Amino acid sequence: MPDFKEEIRKRVAALNLSPTRENEIVEELSQHLEDQYEQALQGAATEDEAHQAVLRELNENDLLAPELKRIERRVPQNPVVVMGKEGKSNMLGDLWQDLRYGLRMLVSNPGFTIVAVVALALGIGANSAIFSVVNTVLLKPLPYRNPDALVMVWEEATHLGFPFNTPSPANFIDWREQNTVFESMAAMAQKSFNLTGAGEPERFDGRRVSANLFTLLGVEPVLGRTFRAEEDQPGSRVVILSYGVWQRRFGGDSGVIGRPVNLNGESYTVIGVMPGSVDLPSIDNWHDQLWVPIAFTSEDAASRGNHYLEVIARLKPGITQKQAQAEMSTIAARLEQQYPAENTRIGATVQSLHERVVGNIKPALLVLLGAVAFVLLIACANVANLLLARAAVRQKEIALRLALGASRARLTRQFLAESVLLAAMGGACGLALSFVALHVLKIFIPTSISQAQAISMDAKVLIFTALVSLVTGLIFGLAPATQASNFNLNDTLKEGGRDSGAGSRGNRIRNLLVISEVAISFLLLIGAGLLISSFLHLLKLDPGYRADHLLTMKIVLPETKYPDKERRAPFFRELIRRVQTLPGVQSVAVASNLPLTYNGDSMPIGIEGRADPPPDQMPDVILRVVSPGYFSTMGIPLVQGRDFTEQDKPDAVRVAVISEKTARHFWPGESPIGKRFKPGLVTGDSPWREVVGVVKDVRQNDFVAEPKMQMYMAHEQVGSFAPNAVVVRTSVDPQSLGTAVRKTVWEIDKDQPVSDIRSMEEIVSEAVARQRFSMVLLGVFAMLALVLAAVGIYGVMSYSVGQRTHEIGIRMALGAQRSDVLKMAVGQGLRLVLIGVAIGVVSAAVLTRVMTSLLFGVSATDPVTFIAISLLLISVALLASYIPALRAARIDPMVALRYQ
Amino acid sequence: MASAILDRELKKGSAELLILSLVEDRPRHGYEIGQLIEMRSGGVLHFNVASLYPLLYRLEKRGWIRGRWVEKAGQRRRRYYRLTPEGKKTLAAQRDGWREFVAAISQITGIQHA
Repeated sequence: MPDFKEEIRKRVAALNLSPTRENEIVEELSQHLEDQYEQALQGAATEDEAHQAVLRELNENDLLAPELKRIERRVPQNPVVVMGKEGKSNMLGDLWQDLRYGLRMLVSNPGFTIVAVVALALGIGANSAIFSVVNTVLLKPLPYRNPDALVMVWEEATHLGFPFNTPSPANFIDWREQNTVFESMAAMAQKSFNLTGAGEPERFDGRRVSANLFTLLGVEPVLGRTFRAEEDQPGSRVVILSYGVWQRRFGGDSGVIGRPVNLNGESYTVIGVMPGSVDLPSIDNWHDQLWVPIAFTSEDAASRGNHYLEVIARLKPGITQKQAQAEMSTIAARLEQQYPAENTRIGATVQSLHERVVGNIKPALLVLLGAVAFVLLIACANVANLLLARAAVRQKEIALRLALGASRARLTRQFLAESVLLAAMGGACGLALSFVALHVLKIFIPTSISQAQAISMDAKVLIFTALVSLVTGLIFGLAPATQASNFNLNDTLKEGGRDSGAGSRGNRIRNLLVISEVAISFLLLIGAGLLISSFLHLLKLDPGYRADHLLTMKIVLPETKYPDKERRAPFFRELIRRVQTLPGVQSVAVASNLPLTYNGDSMPIGIEGRADPPPDQMPDVILRVVSPGYFSTMGIPLVQGRDFTEQDKPDAVRVAVISEKTARHFWPGESPIGKRFKPGLVTGDSPWREVVGVVKDVRQNDFVAEPKMQMYMAHEQVGSFAPNAVVVRTSVDPQSLGTAVRKTVWEIDKDQPVSDIRSMEEIVSEAVARQRFSMVLLGVFAMLALVLAAVGIYGVMSYSVGQRTHEIGIRMALGAQRSDVLKMAVGQGLRLVLIGVAIGVVSAAVLTRVMTSLLFGVSATDPVTFIAISLLLISVALLASYIPALRAARIDPMVALRYQ
Repeated sequence: MASAILDRELKKGSAELLILSLVEDRPRHGYEIGQLIEMRSGGVLHFNVASLYPLLYRLEKRGWIRGRWVEKAGQRRRRYYRLTPEGKKTLAAQRDGWREFVAAISQITGIQHA
């Protein structure tokens, strides 16, 4: 039979169809012609006649090619470009095709794709999670009207160790009257409230606030109204509830407005409910649950020596914080002249509310943000390495396409499209990962951080993730893409497509990537190492007491029911007596405040027989009012003298116990026992107190800072500073006694709330929550970096050994020992790692300085950490290159020589 | 040359209808379609390979028919065309159109429908 295929192929060749399509048409049409030919033969034609007949029909009118041309799409010369000429004409079409092609490549290499996507997901996920935190905590505007104009105003007493001191009422009132920079100013003061009546008695954090506070903030109540100016008077009994209290305690009942509630033994009328978003910054992790008017008495308003207010103000439009600061400093200077006794060296500091809210967590978050960026860079380096290795394998494809006329720019673009596609997949997985990570993260985030529980992902986080993914794709796609475009067509074609390792340039890029991975993970590990070391230092700190087996709780006696120490004393005596008998209780005591739960109550003291120093040189001493047995219960060692006893009654000699630091400061080189002092000035009218004992210093206000001077007084001898806290030393798990102690309290006074039932260890743990947060997160990220870097080193070493299989075979055939091969391969890896570590050391020495504020007890260039981390990183890197090296050493020379 | 004119003019208008009708009941391959047209028209209509296949490809491109390579035991594989759901609609529409056309021609020329 004649070859009709050839005939048809001749006619359609000019159409330039895709080979597949052309083959199909040729096959189908030739079958038709063959059938006709067979039929003609059956119709008694000769073979030649049949052939001619068929050809005639094929040629009739020369229709085939023109008809087909109208229907079939031409395949472009360049197999990559869909339509039009190179470049301008159809970028979108190109992009679409590139993406589809890229997707096919990724799907056909599942191993590669999974490894790359996992690495990217980890990197991008970490970034999204931390950005979510930064976004919510640092970037989201506070939920008030024009929050940028809101500031806090503090007394500045840096010389006494208080750069942001709580102002006194008289100073606040003068500031408010004299300033011209603020639209309005409001004062707040913390106050505990005992709610009694229906249900269990309960203690609430609350604040007394100026009537204009909510107007100043620009927050509308969800129910009722805010305070009226005339309600800001002593004796006014109105209260505004927080959303939480309204929901929990009043079941969200809108009929609550106008209802009386019993607070601290007095009846208040509920006038409003604020939205849940109101969360004012506070000292001591105080979360307002209700508000009453601050209602200064004339005595309050005249007080310049009692510093307990927090002052918030709104800048007038157009006034900057700097201008406000300037004017406040002027006013403070004037007040200093007017009232030298109280205001000497007392300035005024204006601080933005935002700064106040986020200030203490900002450095940690920024360091973490930097850390996750580094993790992502390492992930990028890994994926770039993978892509490079694959680009080497794809050389044949690249060569072919270059030979067929694809331009280098076109190829580069296609490689980038693949990378971006990969990054997008990584980004999507990373987003899912970060969603999970956020839930875990919320466990560690200190509750003191404003908005901590509001942390979530929003559109900004999504956009951030998308951008990060895109940039990531471009970064890690760049190396392979430039390599592809610098590709030497001739060499590859000459080598017949043999995998040559993409030349020394490819190796150089790979080595550079390994070096940078090592350097970056070194940075992260150093950061984490320093934080871990800081944290260990923190945990090793002697708090001054034994925190184990201590149960604590808050009992705030209402002033209406217990107005003075005479009425408080029997309550506490009875409480101590009853709790003492509970099984599992070793001892029990009460105190005005326990360590780490309160920052206030400090004052200067005057020493008998000495003249008062100038006001600015009178350091404050922290006062705690305690019951007998407090020191033994807390485990605070008595250094000298005696503890308080039952005999330290109101009518007995007024006594005091001081801390070692206080003793050293006021009576250096002599025993303070028997010496007398009084709170305030020597000339003041408070009675003298005799020092009867000296105890160890306690970390009272701040777990991290050095302890300040402290003094203790017997609770039955002090009118104010009523005990607010109970502490119980137990022989069993302290938490197990909480209910029993609370029951005991209610047996004595059924209306008395008990709150904050915690072990002392919990309190300490909360005090270092910020440090733990940074440490845990940076530790996790550093481990992530280490693993990614190890994988990267392993990948590169495997690849490089694979490349050198042939060479290794020759060496071994020529007599090299396995140990030589091992040494050679490991040595190559080690060289890269050492360079990386060297770079890491130098950059870490510079970069860790930004962490100084997060460190405790270690310097930013702590040599022990640096050496330990170097060793760790080098061992991991050695291991990562040892495994491929071992494989190399096991190569059978015969196999290796045959290996192409 | 009357038959040549008839051939070209009619084919232009009716070829699609013819092919769609032929693959309505079952899938057929190109040669079979060509043969059936010739046989059923008593030799009046004849499609040669150069016009039949471009037509098939066009109908396929429009989505009215769908070709598939089918391998049957002991035979070489052949491309069978079947009617798609869309092709079915087109066929119905074209049939109506053709009926009206023929009726109109008959009215004017006085040719009675056979």
